[in-house]
Amino acid sequence: MNPKRCAACKYLRRRCPKDCIFAPYFPPNDPAKFACIHRIYGAGNVSKMLQQLPEQTRAEAVESLCFEAKCRVDDPVYGCVGIIHLLQTQIQNAQNELAKTQAEVAVAQTNLSQTQNSDF
Amino acid sequence: MSSSGNPSSSGGGGGPCGACKFLRRKCVAGCIFAPYFDFEQGAAHFAAVHKVFGASNVSKLLLHIPEHKRPDAVVSICFEAQARLRDPIYGCVSHIVSLQQQVVSLQTELSYLQAHLATLELPQPMAPVSSSGSLQALSITDLPTISPSLYDLSSFFEPVMSSTWAMQQQPRPSDHVFGVPSSSSIIGGGGEIQALAPEFIHGGQMPAQPSLGTSGSASTVIKRE
Repeated sequence: MNPKRCAACKYLRRRCPKDCIFAPYFPPNDPAKFACIHRIYGAGNVSKMLQQLPEQTRAEAVESLCFEAKCRVDDPVYGCVGIIHLLQTQIQNAQNELAKTQAEVAVAQTNLSQTQNSDF
Repeated sequence: MSSSGNPSSSGGGGGPCGACKFLRRKCVAGCIFAPYFDFEQGAAHFAAVHKVFGASNVSKLLLHIPEHKRPDAVVSICFEAQARLRDPIYGCVSHIVSLQQQVVSLQTELSYLQAHLATLELPQPMAPVSSSGSLQALSITDLPTISPSLYDLSSFFEPVMSSTWAMQQQPRPSDHVFGVPSSSSIIGGGGEIQALAPEFIHGGQMPAQPSLGTSGSASTVIKRE
């Protein structure tokens, strides 16, 4: 038994076994991380998801789950889909601005070459 | 795709909703899932949601959301669930990172073009270089590559906040851990998420993802009026 329980087992008020699947990713000094993920996904679902993944990818999976859970807690309606929408809007705005600036550059280049030709 | 609030999909005579059909339980009158998971395709969508989030978690989530916002919430939950099943490691975070990189790339290109435009618009050129020469001297590929890591996602709004054009285009994000504006400022109304749902579910901009059309559209989950 792990003498120092991980945050997940502390939250679940259970013993933390040596091979606890949560222990590597939920250190006891960050209880909020597991609390958030448990609230959205539930310990059982997270455990199942992690068990189905190769060990070397679990850390990344936990981080992405934490991110999505945090987004969902902060925005219960849209979660991280809200961020996707915001980014897509930003991309659209940037593309519009880019097209506008490219047109301005073309005009400026035309004016410049006309000026240079008239100088000659 | 059945309309929202269709009584035939709720318990009490019209057969179970998709969620209760999947859970193999009696669909009671007032079932919280019934308006959003119809009998035909709702079960398939709910399967993904149940696998990732769990029925009780989703139920609790929906109970805390105003009823008029629940269709949007169900669409986003279905999207996240399907993204997670498709990519068990990153879920839809990979899509966010990809979009973030696109934003940064576009901002960089825009900054470069604006600087170039400023050079062209100078009344007297500072140095006798041709425009093509200045373009060759400074190339997009020479600019530093920005590779946001997964762990930096919490601060990915900072480049937006510091960018001049972004400030002009977007309202300043609220002081939030993830810099996410409130949902009301992101999506104006229920109609927008409904319009977005086919774009999301049919793989509008999902990078390297299989076609989402096989699993149906989340818009079929949401019963339109």
